[in-house]
This record gives sequence, C-alpha cells and structure tokens, in this order.
Amino acid sequence: VAGIELPQKQWPELIGTLLSNIHQLPPHTKQATLETLGYICEEVSPDAVEQDHVNKILTAVVQGMNSSEANNDVRLAATRALYNALGFAQANFSNDMERDYIMRVVCEATLSPEVKIRQAAFECLVAISSTYYEKLAPYIHDIFNITAKAVKEDEEPVALQAIEFWSSICDEEIDILDEYGGDFSADSDIPCFYFIKQALPVLVPMLLETLLKQEEDQDQDEGAWNIAMAGGTCLGLVARTVGDDIVPLVMPFIEGNITKPDWRQREAATYAFGSILEGPSPEKLVPIVNVALNFMLSALMKDPSNHVKDTTAWTLGRMFEFLHGSTLDTPIITPANCQEIITVLLQSMKDVPNVAEKACGALYFLAQGYEDMGPSVSPLTPYFQDILQALYGVTRREDAGESRLRTAAYETLNEVVRCSTDETAPMVMQLVPLIMMELHQTLETQKLTADEREKQNELQGLLCGCLQVIIQKLGSSEATKYVFLQCADQMMGLFLRVFSSKSATAHEEAMLAIGALAYAAGSNFEKYMSEFYRYLEMGLQNFEDYQVCAITVGVVGDLCRALEDKISPYCDGIMTQLLKDLSSNQLHRSVKPPIFSCFGDIALAIGENFEKYLIYAMPMLQSAAELSAHTSGADDDMTEYTNSLRNGILEAYSGIFQGFKGSPKTQLLMPYAPHILQFLDSLYMEKDMDDVVMKTAIGVLGDLADTLGNSAAPLIQNSVSSKDFLNECLSSDDSMIKESAEWAKMAISRAISF
Amino acid sequence: MAPPDHRRPYKRPAISDQQRRRELSLLRQAQSRLDAQHRARCLASSVLSLENPEPDSVPELELESKPGE
Repeated sequence: VAGIELPQKQWPELIGTLLSNIHQLPPHTKQATLETLGYICEEVSPDAVEQDHVNKILTAVVQGMNSSEANNDVRLAATRALYNALGFAQANFSNDMERDYIMRVVCEATLSPEVKIRQAAFECLVAISSTYYEKLAPYIHDIFNITAKAVKEDEEPVALQAIEFWSSICDEEIDILDEYGGDFSADSDIPCFYFIKQALPVLVPMLLETLLKQEEDQDQDEGAWNIAMAGGTCLGLVARTVGDDIVPLVMPFIEGNITKPDWRQREAATYAFGSILEGPSPEKLVPIVNVALNFMLSALMKDPSNHVKDTTAWTLGRMFEFLHGSTLDTPIITPANCQEIITVLLQSMKDVPNVAEKACGALYFLAQGYEDMGPSVSPLTPYFQDILQALYGVTRREDAGESRLRTAAYETLNEVVRCSTDETAPMVMQLVPLIMMELHQTLETQKLTADEREKQNELQGLLCGCLQVIIQKLGSSEATKYVFLQCADQMMGLFLRVFSSKSATAHEEAMLAIGALAYAAGSNFEKYMSEFYRYLEMGLQNFEDYQVCAITVGVVGDLCRALEDKISPYCDGIMTQLLKDLSSNQLHRSVKPPIFSCFGDIALAIGENFEKYLIYAMPMLQSAAELSAHTSGADDDMTEYTNSLRNGILEAYSGIFQGFKGSPKTQLLMPYAPHILQFLDSLYMEKDMDDVVMKTAIGVLGDLADTLGNSAAPLIQNSVSSKDFLNECLSSDDSMIKESAEWAKMAISRAISF
Repeated sequence: MAPPDHRRPYKRPAISDQQRRRELSLLRQAQSRLDAQHRARCLASSVLSLENPEPDSVPELELESKPGE
C-alpha cells in the first residue's frame, strides 16, 4: 500500500507513526517494524521519501543493528532493512560522521556470533561497494581484513558474500576504466581508486586458496555455486581489472599445482589459468599459452579426473576465445598444431557429457576465430566433414540431455556453419535434410508429459535456430542459394507446424528462420503468405513474450523488402497491429523503435498506397518525436533509448518520403513537413544525438527535399537543419554521415533551383 | 546455493548463441534496410543527373568514340 500511496504523498504520517515509539516496543513488534521499513525502502523510490524521514529510518535501523541490541531477530531485521535503505542514504553517505557511523555498525555486524546477521551485513557491504564506491577509501583496508577472515574461516554463505564484495569492486573499476577508455585525461563521473591494484598482492593469494575448495561432482549440478566457483569468478574479474599485473602472481600457483597427484590441485591450477585469460595483453599471455597448449591437450585426453578434464576443455575454449582470431598478431593455432587440437576436441566430444559440452564450447571459439578471415581458404576446411559429423553425432547421443550437451553441440554446429566458405558449402547443404528430418520427428511425437514437451520445444528451438543459420549462410551467395531453396516448401511447412506449440522460444526461433528464408527467397516468398499471415499476426500480438513480438516486427521488414508491393494485401492487418502495439503500455519499450522503422519499411514497399495509413501513423510519429526531442537530465540508458527511438522515427519518415517519391500524391505529405523540419532542428539544437541518429536525420532532410521538391523550398530554407546542421554533417569525419549529407545537399539544391 | 544473477554462469560463455542469432538477424535487417534506402536514393540521384546533364559530358563521349570510328 505504501508503495502506491507514498509517491502520491497520500500517506505522509506513515513513517512517523511507524517510528514514533520504536524504543518502547517489545522485540517482536520492533522486528516487524524494521521489516516493514525494509519492505517500504525496497518498494518505494528514494525521491518519494523526505530527507527528514530518511534520517529517522536510518537512525532506527542503525540502532537496531548495533551490537548493543540484545535481540538477534531485531538485529537481523535491522541489518536486512539497511540493505534496502542504502539507496536512500545518499545524503548521509556524503556526511563524514554519519557515514563513519553507518560503516562502523555494518563492519561490527559482520562479526556477530549469528551467521545470518554476518551474511546480511556482508550483503550490505556488497551493496555499499556498488552504490558508494567513491566513499570507500577510508574503510577499504579494514574491509579487506574482515573479508579475508570470512573467506578463510567463515561458513560458506558468509564467505561467498565476502568474495562477492571484491567481485563487485572489480565490476565498478572495470566500468570506470572502460569509461576512461585508455585515455587517462578523459572524464569519468567517478574516479578510479585502484583498490584492486593496491590489494593485489594479498587479494590474489586469498582467491587462489578458495580454488582448492571444490565440491565433488560440482560439474554435474547445473545451479551449483560454491566458494571455489565464486573465487575463480572473482579472479577472472581481477584479471580484467588489472590486466598484466595478475600474471606473475598466479603463475607460481599454476606451476606448483598443475602436476600434483591430488585432482583438486590440478583442477585449481587449471581453473586459475583459465580464469586469467581475459584481461592481460596477448603479448604477456601468448608465450605462456604456447607452452601450456600441449599440456592441456594431453590432460584433456589422459587426466583420470573428469573434473580436471572439464576445466581443461573450458580453459582451451578461453584460450581460443581471447587469444585466437584474425586481429591477433601471433597465432596460437598454427598449421603445425591445428590437426592435433581438432583431433583432441573431437575425441573429447565422446567423453562424459560435461566434458563433451566444454569440448564443444572450445570448438565454438576455435571456429569463431576463423570467421573474419575473408575469402581465403579456411584452415578448418580439411577437417570440416569430420567436425560436422562429430557434432551431429553429439546431438544424437542418448545422454545429450545432460549438462546442456545437446545445446552446446547445436550452438557449435551453428558457429562452424557461420564460418564455412564456398568450398565447404556442399557439406553444409548435406546437413539440411538431416536437420529437417530431426525437426519433422519432433513434430510427429505425441502424448508427451509436460516435462517431455518442454524438452521437445527446446529441441525444436535448437533445430529452427540451426536451420536459420544455414539459410542465412547459404542464402548469402547466389551460387548456393538456389540449391537450398529447392527445400524451401518443405522447410516452411515444418516452421509453420512449430507455431502450434506453445513455447515462446520455439516461436521466436521459427520466426527468425522464416525471416531469413523470406530474405533469401525474395518475391517467391509470396506463395507462403496466406498460410503464414495468421502466425505473423499472432507474433505481433505477443506482448507478453516481447522478444517474439520484436522479432516478428523485424520479419515484417524482411517481408516488405522481399515482397515489395505484393505485401499490400496484408498491410491493413499488419498496420492495425503495429499501431495497437505502439499504443500499448503493456509492451516492452524496446520494441517501439523497431516498430517505427517498420513503418518506413512498409511505406517503402507499398509506396503511395501508404496514403491510407498516414492519418494514423503521422500523429503517432509526431507525438513520439516531440517526446524524444529532449533528453535533458536523462541517464545513460534513457539517452541510449531516446536515440534509438529517434532513429526509428527518422527511418519511418525516410521510408515514407521515399515511398511517395514520384507519385502524384506527394503533396499529401506537405502538411507534415513543418513539424518534421522542426524535429530535425530541435535534434540539432539539443546536441545529444549519436552518430547513427545524425546520419539518419540528415538523410531525412534530403528525402524530404527530394520528394516534396520546390513546394517545400521556403520551409527548408528557413530551417537551421538546411544550414548549420547540414554544414556540420558535410564536414563530419564519419563517412556515413558525410554521404547522407551529400545526398541532402544535392536534393536541397535541386528543390530550391526549380 | 545459486550464483548471483548478474554473474556470468560458471564455465559458460557470456553470450548465448541464441542471443547471437538475434543480434545477427538484426544486423542483417538493418543492413538490408540501408541497402533499400541507398537504392532508392541512387535511383533518385541518377534521375537527377539525367535531368541535369553535365554540359561537357556529351563532348567527352564523342571524344571517346573517335578512336573506334
């Protein structure tokens, strides 16, 4: 109730009433009061509560947390309430004395004899580390000692939070250093205090110790999370934060443990190595990886422990993910070792499911590294057939349902297809009937239990995903397109049957595959439209699974480009649905910009026949444009969203102008021109559009001038956009902006000269 | 015990292939939209240049055709 009433200022006495006699209350009522305060803080936005009330809440909460509080239930409720109240404490954390006091009480609570209080206190520290990073310097030394003790000695839930504190500090510093972008003169709102770099000599040994505390069979348990996992995750974040500096601190641990008889030591050493592969420079890592690679390949084949093999395959995957690819100077995979690497990985795919899954993952990144090689012969070509066979074999393993193995195999198959070349296209083509047969079989099976049906839908999603990748690959070259399009009828039949399932993931994947097919088939796709249309409409109505809706909107764009004016018969229905989507406050906001772009796609496809939609679409565009013209005071996320909305609106205008170009009805657009020019002017004045918006905006100016011609000349000449904005774009360093500006300049000079 | 939601899942890739498929489709669609727009503008530009022939383009053609005569 407070969540609704407080923001409306309709329950001003609530906080006062709750706190009025808190000191006289019996413990259980005090506990309930603190819990209520915690819930209120969790539910209500900080700006809905006056500072005076915030102060009173914090005072009551911190007093309840104090070691002088004899009742543990009260102390625990207070500690949990503080966790929720931290977001309200901006002003209090800016005051040295108040902050010192809060921090002292939180740190004391981490030493409570009650495990739940210690855990809640560490959760507060984690939250403080992200909300008040810049205020932590005076306390960081003490916090290190407290966390180190907890990691070493305390019970697991407490130790996990203590590690999470350092992971969270890494997150903060990675973000700040990202904003610096390597340019240390650049501004960041918050300076980096380099807590991780300073703590490195003590932090790294503490984390390495945790790696030896693995649980038996943790790799078989999907949702497992323990101190070794948290420690390795934190070590990975530390490596990303400090880069090269971590390497000499971890190497002795790896060298000292990797050949030990105890599997825990070998696994910990391997996990440490895998964890630090993202962050340090290739110059630092490549020489070490070159030595380690052979050792790892051998361990993957011969180590007696599945746990060690699992982590070894994962580490190989990390090597390929971060140190293999066309952008790196020194290749770690060479003609000399390529064959052995592939042989070992394919062999490993026959191992127990969790090891086979990681081997698939390693092959995924190995293939990815060859993706941008251009038209040259891929080093994978000689092994291509074996790789496809091995992966297809994995998908058919009886135990492929374990450890996400089937998913990993299909995902790797997709990546291998993506990086295939013309030479290997016939082998990819051979996959098509196999995958179609698999999909057909999933559609035939009946009388399934709920659990089996869920697995079936998941498999349908994977198979549609795989077909989508194949369509996209083979459809991208004229030589291969016609061969696989011979299967298009059958394929489309299967996709349509997938829509009879109730699974959002399967729908999404089938929809993506159909979009790719429409793109490849072009105007030939028309024959499927009468049957497909109802599923298209269903997708556009799917507010709940907004990803399905977003993908369907994208597919409408594909259809417009494939069918051009042949999409006309379906446009009434599509436009009705898109307009409904835009007016809905149920639909996720991220779908709205693509809907505007889609208006442009439709208009470009059907030309002047868009006329009947103008009276609906234009007011929508106009009000969205007004809303998106100003972003003052918005945070980064909001600015990014606003720019994507502006881009969608502008793409709609572009498509509409270009669609009407040359028609006798162009003057129907004239009444909208003043507002559109005003929108362009306001974007220019606001100075916060990104490059994409700038390029689209100046293009719209050209499209407007091109389509409306001389009748719009006075309007154009009066706009700021046609002068200052255009000049700025003409002298831009961005070639796309410049190209659009050249277009606008030419179209304007023509409109004016006639 | 479950890992915190925002942490990369243990020994799993940061981005799922499903997410990649979505992103690659969006890229393809954005590129196709750009191409369609580009074609429309190129068409307009070529009409423009036909309507406004460069004054010296005709003599140049004549010069080029001379050696073949």
